[in-house]
Parts: sequence; structure tokens; C-alpha cells
Amino acid sequence: MVPEASPSPTPPSRRFRLTLDTWAVLLAAVLTLLVVLRAIPRVPW
Amino acid sequence: MVTDTPTAVLERSRPIQLPERFLGLLPGIGLLLVIGYLGKLAEEGVRAYGKAHHQALPNIEYVLWAIVFGLVIANTVGVPKIFRAGVATYEFWLKAGIVLLGARFLLGDVVKLGGISLALVAVELVVAIAIMTVLGRAFRLKPKLISLLAIGSSICGVSAIIAGKGAIEADDEDATFAIAAILALGAFGLFAYPVIGHALGLSDHAFGLWAGLAVDNTAEAAAAGAIYSDAAGKVAVLTKSTRNATIGFVVLAYALYWASRGQAKTVANKARFLWEKFPKFVLGFLVISGLATAGLFDKGQTAALANLSRWAFLLTFAGVGLKTDFRELRRQGLRPFVVGALAELSVTVVTLGLVAGAAAVFKL
Repeated sequence: MVPEASPSPTPPSRRFRLTLDTWAVLLAAVLTLLVVLRAIPRVPW
Repeated sequence: MVTDTPTAVLERSRPIQLPERFLGLLPGIGLLLVIGYLGKLAEEGVRAYGKAHHQALPNIEYVLWAIVFGLVIANTVGVPKIFRAGVATYEFWLKAGIVLLGARFLLGDVVKLGGISLALVAVELVVAIAIMTVLGRAFRLKPKLISLLAIGSSICGVSAIIAGKGAIEADDEDATFAIAAILALGAFGLFAYPVIGHALGLSDHAFGLWAGLAVDNTAEAAAAGAIYSDAAGKVAVLTKSTRNATIGFVVLAYALYWASRGQAKTVANKARFLWEKFPKFVLGFLVISGLATAGLFDKGQTAALANLSRWAFLLTFAGVGLKTDFRELRRQGLRPFVVGALAELSVTVVTLGLVAGAAAVFKL
């Protein structure tokens, strides 16, 4: 029989760290907000 | 041999603070920007040269230039240590770029294209896993390396392999190889797919669908699409994101398989496992697309968001080249690479057939 997984060795302070995905979504959300509020009026390409 | 002084050991054991970590990223991000921008200048330079000399030069997208510049650096002088942390952020820019790209999609298109993609992804998953498993066994690769290559080739290269590595407790060495193999094979695909697509006269939608299904790394799938055309790039990102969304299910299946053999931890809470593995940027993409559909952005704002997305992709594509190191492949020998290449080739042919069928049925 396979033993049940042992408790995660991750220290509690690390458990709430944001993942790469979440940071990326946050950055996109902030940029979108800035565009909507016209703080970034236009972006050249 | 260099021995560490007590001060050096003490320095290393000190936890790195957030501002230091952020500053440590800047040189690499700067390098991504320089290489990406050089790619853009090269594209514009070639176009201007052709126009000035009345020559019909092929339009080579900045994407390809940026990747080639990165590949040359990574595989000759190598990426100096000071740049590595920042170069590794390319995946972050990719995800932010995909979320912002949501502004260029109406939800109706997402549902239609996403639905077609999902049906094709289901077939692609089964075919890719079956081919990789059969070939891996025939070539007697290590079972966990086969699992990693199967996860990588069926879903999304690097992040899937990293997710799979933790879940099935594979070796670092296997994971490093599987990542290097997927990136290197994808790099070949980048050059080959657009040529094949043009030779077959595929439409932008059909090509984007094919790139999204057949190229394993999300950044490379986006690049392959963008090299073909802007519209193909959009569809490739959407298809690839649909494929990425299935990551949790495939990794869970492998985790359960290895746990049943006593070679990995059991999964206590399957719903939580699926949520943890689900790529959250897909949700961000859907929200922005929903806002665009609701008419929140005017024309200028949509253009601004689209251009922000392009800048994020520019950093990503520079990172793709810089992170692809063909020398990693030599460490495990030719056999696993041959298996990967054969499997990829089979998946390429099968997905091309699928896309040709879907293009005929759905008039893509």
C-alpha cells in the first residue's frame, strides 16, 4: 500500500506566494486599468 | 579548486530581499528588450532596403530575427550569468501578453474557435501521448522520462514538464533534458511550419490552429503563428491556450498512474490539484475578452492594449532564442532526442490532417 502524502515541507510564509501566472494577470490588469483611465493614452508600435 | 570563504557562505545563506530580486532581473529584461528591438529594426531595415533598391525581398517578421539573434548568443558565447534571471522572465511576459491579447477577441469568436480547438486538442492529446509512449518504450527510455516527454509533447512543453516533474517525482536531469528537447524541436518547427503552411496555401486561421496544436512551447507556438501572419498569431495563441487549459487533467492522470505504482505521492484532493495546475492566465484572457465584448474599450484603447500585448510578446520571443541551448541535448545522448523528434513529426502530420479536415468542415 502506498503511504499517504506527508505534510508539505513548504514553510507557511511561502504558501501565499503569488505564482507567475497571477503576477502576469495582475500586470495585465493594471495596464488595462491605466488604458481605461486614459493614463496611457496611446502605445506606439 | 575554489573554496568558499566564511564571508561568502554567510552572504549566500542570507535570504534575498524583494528589491534585490527585482534589481537582479533588470539586466536580463534589458537584454530581452535590446534583442527584441534589434529584431524589429532588422525587419524594418530589410523592408526599407528592398523599397529603396526596388527589390522584392521576403518580409521576415521581427519574431524570427529576435529568435535567431537569441539562438546565436545562447549557442555561441552563452548567456552571461548576470542576465539569466531576467531572461527567464520571458514566460511572464508571454502570459501578460496573452491576457492583453484578449482585448482583440470577441467572446463569440473565443467560444467558436476555442470549441473547435478543444475538439482537436482532445484528439491531439490522445495521439501525442500514444505515439510518445510507444516510441519511448521501443527505444527503451526511462519510464519517467517517457512520461515527461509525453506530457510535454501533448500539452505545453516547459510549464507542463515542470508541473509533471513535481507530480510524478521525476529526476531534475530528465526534466532538463525534456525541456531542452521540446524547445529545440519547437525551434526547428518555427522555421519549418511557416514554409509548409505557405506551400500548402493554408489560411491564417488554419495555420494558427495547426501551430497552436503542433508546437509544444506556448512562446514558440505564438512565434510560429506570428511569423505566418498577425491573424495566424492570434489564433495560434488561442488554440495553444486551450491546449494549456487541459494541463491539470493530463498531469493528474500521470500522477495517479505513478502513485498507483508506488513511485509518486498520492493525490489527496483532485479538485484542488486541478485548480492548482490550471493556467490562471487563461482566465485573465477570458475576462479581458469579456470586457472587450461588452464594449468597454474604444478603438484607441483596443489599439493601445493590442500594442502593449505586442511589446510583451517582443520580450518573449527574444527569450525563446536565448533559452534554447542545443548543447543541453548532448547530455542525455541522441536516443531520447530521436524519440522526441519522431513523435513530434508524427504529431505534426496528424495535426495537419486534423486542421485540413476542420478547415474544410468549418470553412476556416
